[in-house]
Amino acid sequence: MPKGRNLRRRKRWTAWLGIVPVLVFCFAIEIVPIMMMVRGSVIDSKGNFTLANYASLGIPLYVNSFINSIKLSSLSALIGTALGTLIGYVIYRWPLNRVREALITLSDVTTNFAGAPLAFAFIIILGSTGIVTQFFLQYLNIKIYPEFSVYSLWGLVLAYVYFQLPLMVLLIIPAFTGLRKEWFESAQNLGASSFQFWRRIGLPVLTPSLVSGLVLLFANAFGAYATAYTLTGSSLTLATIQIGFTVTGEVRHDPGIGLAMALISLLIMGSCIASYQWATRAARRWSSR
Amino acid sequence: MAYLELTDVSKSFANVAAVKNFSLAIEKGKLVSFLGPSGCGKTTTLRMIAGFEQPDSGTITLGGQDITVVPPNQRGIGMVFQAYALFPNMSVAENIAFGLKMKHTPKPEIEKQVDSVLELIRLSDTAKRFPHQLSGGQQQRIALARALAVQPQVLLLDEPLSALDAEVRLALRGEIRRIQSDLGITTIYVTHDQEEALSISDLVVVMNKGDIEQVGSPIDIYRKPQTRFVATFIGTANQFTGEMSGEHTVLCGQYQLNTRPPADRIASGSAVLVLVRPEAIQVEMEADPRPSVNAIPGMVETVTFHGAVTRLGVNVYGQRVVADVTETNTGVINLNQKVWLTFPPEVCQVMVQNE
Amino acid sequence: MASRLNTKHKAPFSYLVILAFFLGYMLLPILATYLFSVATRWDRTILPEGYTLEWYQTAFASSYFTITLRNSLIVSMASVLVSLLIVVPTVYWVRTRLPEAKPLLELLMILPFGIPSVVLALALVQIYNMPPIARSPYLLVSATVIFSMPFMYRAVSNAIEAIDANTLTEAAQSLGAGLGPILTRVIIPNIFPGILSGSLLVFATVFAEFTLAKLITGAGFKTFPLLLVEYTRKNGSVAAALSVISFTIAWVASMLILLVGRSGKSGRQEHAPTH
Repeated sequence: MPKGRNLRRRKRWTAWLGIVPVLVFCFAIEIVPIMMMVRGSVIDSKGNFTLANYASLGIPLYVNSFINSIKLSSLSALIGTALGTLIGYVIYRWPLNRVREALITLSDVTTNFAGAPLAFAFIIILGSTGIVTQFFLQYLNIKIYPEFSVYSLWGLVLAYVYFQLPLMVLLIIPAFTGLRKEWFESAQNLGASSFQFWRRIGLPVLTPSLVSGLVLLFANAFGAYATAYTLTGSSLTLATIQIGFTVTGEVRHDPGIGLAMALISLLIMGSCIASYQWATRAARRWSSR
Repeated sequence: MAYLELTDVSKSFANVAAVKNFSLAIEKGKLVSFLGPSGCGKTTTLRMIAGFEQPDSGTITLGGQDITVVPPNQRGIGMVFQAYALFPNMSVAENIAFGLKMKHTPKPEIEKQVDSVLELIRLSDTAKRFPHQLSGGQQQRIALARALAVQPQVLLLDEPLSALDAEVRLALRGEIRRIQSDLGITTIYVTHDQEEALSISDLVVVMNKGDIEQVGSPIDIYRKPQTRFVATFIGTANQFTGEMSGEHTVLCGQYQLNTRPPADRIASGSAVLVLVRPEAIQVEMEADPRPSVNAIPGMVETVTFHGAVTRLGVNVYGQRVVADVTETNTGVINLNQKVWLTFPPEVCQVMVQNE
Repeated sequence: MASRLNTKHKAPFSYLVILAFFLGYMLLPILATYLFSVATRWDRTILPEGYTLEWYQTAFASSYFTITLRNSLIVSMASVLVSLLIVVPTVYWVRTRLPEAKPLLELLMILPFGIPSVVLALALVQIYNMPPIARSPYLLVSATVIFSMPFMYRAVSNAIEAIDANTLTEAAQSLGAGLGPILTRVIIPNIFPGILSGSLLVFATVFAEFTLAKLITGAGFKTFPLLLVEYTRKNGSVAAALSVISFTIAWVASMLILLVGRSGKSGRQEHAPTH
């Protein structure tokens, strides 16, 4: 044993060589390009420092695309968190093991069902001639168009909730499982009602998991592109759609503005992931004993 | 006068009986242990007293009042769980204050009570800390303080020490007993550890497969086991099988044993079991001349050094009998040495063999 | 230990309602797509007016169908291969020789979640704008590997944590094995379920990937999801047929992952109810 440890210590410097491939790959494909992009966003064509790109983001098109992105992400994350928690609780409390497992599998599969096929499925059910639209029209005599449109913000919210909901279910079930039976019984034993248990212990203990779920869902929606691209065409503009235009050149953009938008998106996403990490750590700390 | 009384309490899970017709009267201020192997029904009984399980039949009364169907949050019975069960989102002080808040106790009084129980368990400096910052032993003491803060009528402890290290276990055991007798609180202590039960209790209830095997003081349980289960579950006991040949003599093949007179008369000729603890046997080089003292010959087959005592395995007419001896009493004993095992009638517990 | 809060034997009615809503939400879009792909006409009625396999025939007949399917398979398999080659040796190395590098590795593997794919695509297209890399399938695979590597990492690292890699390595060393045989004969066979489920996960993720393919290679190297999006604007019924094909591939992968996960876990099942 001591011999092995010595060997390891002598090798320490060379041992770092073993992770060089992964470092080179991540630097070349991820870190360096992103850093160059950050640099590009604050430099003009002559190579001088400038904030002009950020200043030009002030026009309504760009401001609206960020506002829409934030609205869509917040709405779908809030609805996803609320409904996902409720559904997760029902699944967690469901008496039959087999039903619980089947529902978790369903969530696993459906949360990965995003992008173009999902968007198109929503056109089939909620488009102006979709089945749900037809159902409302023929059976309930309600015209949901033109007040509602699957291509509008709320249409997108409904489609996004489709993959947010099962993701939240998958995130929250372990948190419910982490609530120990003894906490409930101790609280009862000390005179608390079921409501008082949830208010003072259950919910507070779940809070880090709820927060981490909420920010993860927000980030999940904010970074999404394919679903929105398929569903909105150009009627509703989002930050990711505008950045996409810069890349494809479909719409003429000053490239610097694209970079500036990308950087802001990166900051928003980055802070979401950071707070997600922080919240999951808090959740883990509480459930450790 | 019984304070907590269980009458004919039964409970089964999925048609498997966990507790069968359990009846027990507990006096106020006593510490009673439920002792038995896992699955014997001790925890289920405790949980019925706490109200977490509903008995299928029978009644539970506390201070003369029937509490069988009272919900657990209105019983005024404190409980400490095996795995601490402190609320992770609350500080130590908040954990202890929880029960008092539920009773709408005024704030100054809560603070006073929290301070006083923290002092009782000698952990006043941890008030502001969180459970995950404390050791297991500290957490369990806080759990005890939390249960005591509401001044419950009865305290239930469900294997409170089994998740802790041996050393902490020993220290905390003494602490629990000290606090219990200081407060004079009626306490039920569930454990599978016989040493724990014997050292801490006023009364021990030995349980097996949902039944009470024996109720008695720790000394009685150890010295006068009433059933074979009790005798073998608690400590080690040599078992001699034979048949009753007089009021208190048993014929075991080639030798006869004089026993303590059985509590209930056993008819001559009945198949019986004589139980003798290893430490009650003396090992001599010669037969004891007194006819009343049992003396049987044997040959030493194993010698195992245990520190304080040396355990001898002796072949007595083909049966292995163990005896614990100290070298100062007997001198050096070698393998294959012929010896006499001698023991007085008082240490021979006789019981009818009912298998 | 995972005993649930007081278990009842019958679910209350409110639970049924909530579950019915969930199932409806999750299943309706999928069922509708399946039905749409075999419907003759379905825009005036609740149920389709008739059934046909015409749209599948149209889809298969399209020259782009085989090309895009092939391209998608190439990108997915290449991503699986590259990410296996990068992740497996690294995870093993860090676990046994360089535990101090684990936080760095974890950071690298969480980073992609914080980068929207459009942003990565933009950065890559801007930096690597020289031929032959510019907008090439190589660049696309590099990007999909970055995005899918965390899945591979999770699966492989969980598998390697579950076996005692250090002791196995020391045992193999004491029997005279070098690094190569240790990896191929001892470690990889023991973490194979993890490798397999990581690979399937990467495959499924990359196969359905639209954003990077659209923005990096675009029409130059069209993948299956791109064709699908094109058809959503040209012919909805064919788009539905293509959706069904893409679901089917994704589901086969998911089911295989579940199967692999289950067989890997059997023997140390930990979900036994306590009461």
